[in-house]
Amino acid sequence: MAANVRARRPASPPPGLPHVVPSSHKYPPIRQDHLSADERREAASKGYGPGQRSHSPGGLNITSGEWKLLAVVLLIATGVRMFRLSKPDSVVFDEVHFGKFAARYIKTRYFVDVHPPLAKLLITAAAFVSGFNGDFDFKEIGKVFDNVPYVAMRMVPATFGVATVPIAYLTLRALDCRATTALLASIFLTFENGLVTQSRHILLDSPLVFFTALTIFLFVGFSNEDKKEPFSTEWWTWLILTGLSLGAVVSCKWVGLFTIATVGVCTILRLWLLLGDLRVSPRMWARHFFARALCLILIPILFYMTMFQLHFLILGSSGEGDAFMSSEFRQTLGRGMEDTYADVALGSDITIRHLNTQGGYLHSHAHNYPGGSAQQQITLYPHRDDNNLWRVLNATVDGYEQYDYEHKPIVYIDHGSRIKLRHIVTDKALHSHEVRPPVSDVDFQNEVSAYGLTGFVGDINDDWVVEIEKGDRSDKESSKRLRTLRTHFKLRHLNTGCYLFSHKVKLPEWGFDQQEVTCNKNAVKANSLWYVETATKHPQLSTDAPKVNYKIPGFLSKFWELQRVMWTTNAGLTDRHMYDSRPLTWPRLRRGINFWVKDHRQIYLIGNPFVWWSSTASIITYMIVRGFLLLRAKRGYRDFDNTKVVKYDSLCGFLFIGYCMHYFPFFLMGRQLFLHHYFPALYFAILLNCAVFDLATSTLRPKIRLQIAAVLMVIAVITYSKFSSLTYGDPWTKKKCTDAQWVKTWDFAW
Amino acid sequence: MVGVLTAIAFALRFYKINQPDQVVFDEVHFGKFASFYITREYYFDVHPPFAKLLFGLAGWFVGFDGHFTFENIGDNYTDNHVPYVGMRALPAILGSLTIPVVYAIMKETGYSTVIAAFSACIILFDNAHIAQSRLILLDATLIFFMSLTIYSYIRFRKLRYWEFTVEWWSWLIATGFFMACTWGAKVNGILTVATIGIAVLVDLWDILDHKKGFTMEHFWKHFMARAVGLIVVPFIIYLSFFYVHFAVLTRSGTGDSFMSPAFQETLIGNELLMNSQELRYYDVVTMKHKDTKVYLHSHPDRYPLQYDDGRISSQGQQVTGYGHDDMNNHWQIIPTKALPEAGRGRVVRHDDVIQLLHVNTQTLLLTHDVASPLMPTNQEFTTWAKDDHSRHNDTLFYLNIIDADSEDPWKSKSSHFRLVHGPTRVSMWTHSKQLPEWAFKQQEINGNKNPTEKSATWFVDQVISTESSEGLSGEQVVKEPKKISFFRKFAELQLLMLQHNAGLTSSHPYASGPINWPFLISGISFWTDNDAQKQIYLIGNIVGWWTCVIALSIYVGIMGADLLARRRGIEPIPDAARGRLWNSAGFFLLIWAVHYLPFFLMNRQLFVHHYLPSHLASALLAGSVLSFVLSDTVNYPISIVGRWTKMRKSEYADLGMKGPVVVGVFTFILFLMFLYMTPLTYGTPGLDGETINGKRLLSSWTLHFAAKEIAEVS
Repeated sequence: MAANVRARRPASPPPGLPHVVPSSHKYPPIRQDHLSADERREAASKGYGPGQRSHSPGGLNITSGEWKLLAVVLLIATGVRMFRLSKPDSVVFDEVHFGKFAARYIKTRYFVDVHPPLAKLLITAAAFVSGFNGDFDFKEIGKVFDNVPYVAMRMVPATFGVATVPIAYLTLRALDCRATTALLASIFLTFENGLVTQSRHILLDSPLVFFTALTIFLFVGFSNEDKKEPFSTEWWTWLILTGLSLGAVVSCKWVGLFTIATVGVCTILRLWLLLGDLRVSPRMWARHFFARALCLILIPILFYMTMFQLHFLILGSSGEGDAFMSSEFRQTLGRGMEDTYADVALGSDITIRHLNTQGGYLHSHAHNYPGGSAQQQITLYPHRDDNNLWRVLNATVDGYEQYDYEHKPIVYIDHGSRIKLRHIVTDKALHSHEVRPPVSDVDFQNEVSAYGLTGFVGDINDDWVVEIEKGDRSDKESSKRLRTLRTHFKLRHLNTGCYLFSHKVKLPEWGFDQQEVTCNKNAVKANSLWYVETATKHPQLSTDAPKVNYKIPGFLSKFWELQRVMWTTNAGLTDRHMYDSRPLTWPRLRRGINFWVKDHRQIYLIGNPFVWWSSTASIITYMIVRGFLLLRAKRGYRDFDNTKVVKYDSLCGFLFIGYCMHYFPFFLMGRQLFLHHYFPALYFAILLNCAVFDLATSTLRPKIRLQIAAVLMVIAVITYSKFSSLTYGDPWTKKKCTDAQWVKTWDFAW
Repeated sequence: MVGVLTAIAFALRFYKINQPDQVVFDEVHFGKFASFYITREYYFDVHPPFAKLLFGLAGWFVGFDGHFTFENIGDNYTDNHVPYVGMRALPAILGSLTIPVVYAIMKETGYSTVIAAFSACIILFDNAHIAQSRLILLDATLIFFMSLTIYSYIRFRKLRYWEFTVEWWSWLIATGFFMACTWGAKVNGILTVATIGIAVLVDLWDILDHKKGFTMEHFWKHFMARAVGLIVVPFIIYLSFFYVHFAVLTRSGTGDSFMSPAFQETLIGNELLMNSQELRYYDVVTMKHKDTKVYLHSHPDRYPLQYDDGRISSQGQQVTGYGHDDMNNHWQIIPTKALPEAGRGRVVRHDDVIQLLHVNTQTLLLTHDVASPLMPTNQEFTTWAKDDHSRHNDTLFYLNIIDADSEDPWKSKSSHFRLVHGPTRVSMWTHSKQLPEWAFKQQEINGNKNPTEKSATWFVDQVISTESSEGLSGEQVVKEPKKISFFRKFAELQLLMLQHNAGLTSSHPYASGPINWPFLISGISFWTDNDAQKQIYLIGNIVGWWTCVIALSIYVGIMGADLLARRRGIEPIPDAARGRLWNSAGFFLLIWAVHYLPFFLMNRQLFVHHYLPSHLASALLAGSVLSFVLSDTVNYPISIVGRWTKMRKSEYADLGMKGPVVVGVFTFILFLMFLYMTPLTYGTPGLDGETINGKRLLSSWTLHFAAKEIAEVS
């Protein structure tokens, strides 16, 4: 019977016995898990949970021997990343863009890019210091550099790439992993072909990954400090540094927002726990809340805006980016427009601009529509030109002989004025009729043409009614009568009631790709608003009549405008690219990116398959194990009473949140995506991989653990060297190349 | 109470149902589909067939013969003798019956009669629900079965202490059945499936909790029961809809061209079936590109030496895609192996290596590693003189018939194939971009580097001359349609529906973004009559909709505040009321969210009527919020008490006098608002411009015939 009783142990739940765990170790790790009664009381009074140590070391806590180790790692990383940085001496992949932007900065010529300026500014700084004059155009991949300090420019991302390695080491140490684990992580990062390739060229991802890593490190340091003693000087330092670093991430690329989200989620979680702790007074909680809000929201925003301030300060003259911006914005670039007369009256020669699109001026030229009425074309033309000039005539007077505006009193244009607009160069009038327009061939649109000839008065279809929509607040007159620049107005066609309208639709070749102008019966208001940009001097006005110009926009309005332009440009990047890929294929490293091919050498972005796949495997393992633990907990197993489980749960959970936040949002993006967008997530995956290693080897002797780690490192280095020719663009034998094609979809060998 | 509400519902939904006697909005589609069921012609649509089958049935029942094709909005029914009232009666009946179901849901969930009437009235007097259910549209069916699903699930849930009894099983299977009907009515019904799925998962998660003291065996029993009732049963029913669909539609129709050749050959009178014949070597054929419908064409003109961007061509003979029938589209199939004198050995088969001879110029089709005129990444196609063997290898192409096994013969019309170049493995491909003047603006043909590119699909359109004994088509006997298994048909159709649903991205003047829906920012113009200034404009009852939005925000506010307060150890809401808010109102919120939020992720064109299921859920939620606001008390118990259930004291919800008063006043305002908007809902009477301006409560509503504000002309 006795044996029977012994065998029937209670089925479930097994009691959580934390003290059993250390005893199973032959060599228990030196930890301070066990507290004396006094210490426990003290810990409880500070509000720590039962599993937590009373004296969290706070911040970073590593020995001097490790600093030496770190120096060696740093040396290796430098060697790996800077090796033959000057090869190839021609433009690689997106250096086309980012090299060009650096040249633009140096020339101070305005451009628009979808990425914020920080990383580009750093590259520019390096180029500027080494004497780049901005004359090279980075036109196409493979163009040989000529008088460009490209090594210095490549040095910037390379340095960031090198710096990422020790940061990873320190992060894992701060997360309370063993030195061996941290070393393993830094070696994995050092020998990750993808990260190496990316950091050797003038690209933004290397700074991005660095700042992501830095932010996470600082945030971990801050969290450690928070456990020890909130609101100490160190606490504030870590917190503020985290905020600054967050600002830096998001100023490299908008993907940095994912890092903000990671930190945000963890902070909210922490605040939620704090809220549940009834020993923390509401006042104290508010202090916690506002300190974080200040440092993790306000500081990054200020940092980000400062970057744009710099951006605007540097780019003072006009360039290819002008076309994206509003006229007010352009006024701040280069020379801008000269002052123009404020008053518009019958007889003024004016140019009219469309408000909502950047299509430009109401324009006509001596070419006819190929279809429809076959009359002369009316378009929007973005540049200044004599063909944009229109004379305002009175439509209520019959006869070609016009009102003698040169001598009779001046007549301003009010709301409801009936006018004709005469195109000066061709002497035809702006005209509309019941004919479908050439491109937007729908019922509610009418064609707009230029009609008439010299000496011919035209008909009632030339008559337009001015409807003033709104004036400017600073100029009271402008809401009552038409004033240059200040008044937004609509033009209603008298006969058909439609409104002069334009939208982002281009005319075909016969219209020189200019923007279509129609008369719309169902006009969207925004697209039927116009304003007068310039008015020549009216004969009745004195030479010192009031003049106006665009208002110079302040920093904030420029900032917002640029953000909007970046957003729409970014959303518009939906064309397919030869080497784009969808997020689902990234974790299994389905395909790389061809960066550069020349003279039978190739640079091809591909990860280190060993590091890559093992980190993916650890992510999946984590999800399965965590799910299993969740189910067990639901069935009453008390796994979470075990301090070891709790420690690794929070450690891996943190890294996993980081991974998810940097990976899954990509699934929602419609724009073209590339393998290198996975890199921040990969960073987390590698750290998680090492954390899993730390857990798996936690019961082993340090020496054995080190040996296992050494084997893993050697494997990583060997796989790295197998693909290193693709990383450095070294010559390769055909056999090696085909041998390296482990997966059919890796399309580097043709 | 139920009787009164139902009677009013029928009255409001059947009032002047014969108005207008014209095709309105999507009746264009769904009326047409119904007529196809009657004529048994195959069609293709993105929605599953259940609701349309019902329309077909209704049409058949009232004697519609299917001759009317519902071509345009505004086509007259009376002139064409269409018994449209009978067909419209179906959604009207279902729409009316939704009202008692909503009422019953609220009653079963434990709210008082007044509250149940309140929720029902929000739906009852809603202009959008009425407009939608008076016409031949799918939404009324969808909403009706969705509400039935919710009702059955609630009944099922209330029996949780009587698990595995007959009643328990019946309600479980009823839930599954109605769920399948919802899904079968419209694709959106999948959201109802998701709602129930989430609710069941939460439920199972609770059963799993060891504090409840259930064994794992018990859990698995529950799990299996739900798997059967909510997965197996609905799936079988869903399949059976399609079974009927295929069984009814046996003739060739407008939907043929969407389907694969194998599928098309199962339809009576299909063109492929009639004209498909095996191809033999030395046949002269024309080939068409599947997507862009151009012929493979060549003419004596040559590529220019240098293109505008400075790249150089081979100056070979042009090969282009040409849209019209022409002698230059004729190609002869040349073998690359020894052929027997006659017999089956001369049939061209899958994976054969062939050459194509351009008959008019006597040159062979060729491609080589020269960039095509428009795309530097793709290879140029040209031709090469027949007698010059120097480029023999470059004229070899693999015939790659899609979905074919080895030795399958190449057939005209029905074999879709890719032509893959032997040495360079590019596939012959074309795209809708035109070449410049020098190629007469014909379409470019080039070699796509992806040998399995989906859009590089071609088929033989016509056989010009053949030596086969079958001879040319014309004197052929009518062939029997072939048969393929139901599951293959089902899988193919299901996949196509998914693809096309995602492809509906073109813009529509009345499409609107999901964010606008709860606030009723814009509606849809269904139909207009210019002479009488009549129109039907789909717009909800603004009082009802905004009440629902307010209720939603109150609910979220209360729950958020409660959560925060509990975190700080304060419990402001009594347990009973709190439980009710979490469980029943939480379930309603879940329904609302699952039927609404996914639309934010969709890129297809969306309309305000996609919100109607969510609106129904928000009406339910509004009821529970009102109940909570009026009183802390709830009806208890509402679940059927089991043998071992621990009971609290039972209690009754006591709303006092304010309950009926508030609901009465609200319903009155709701009704007035409804009356005010009726001309837009029923499309009659006609209105003058001024009145329409008055009805335009929000400036974003784009009503027709509105009076224009006329500016003074000076």
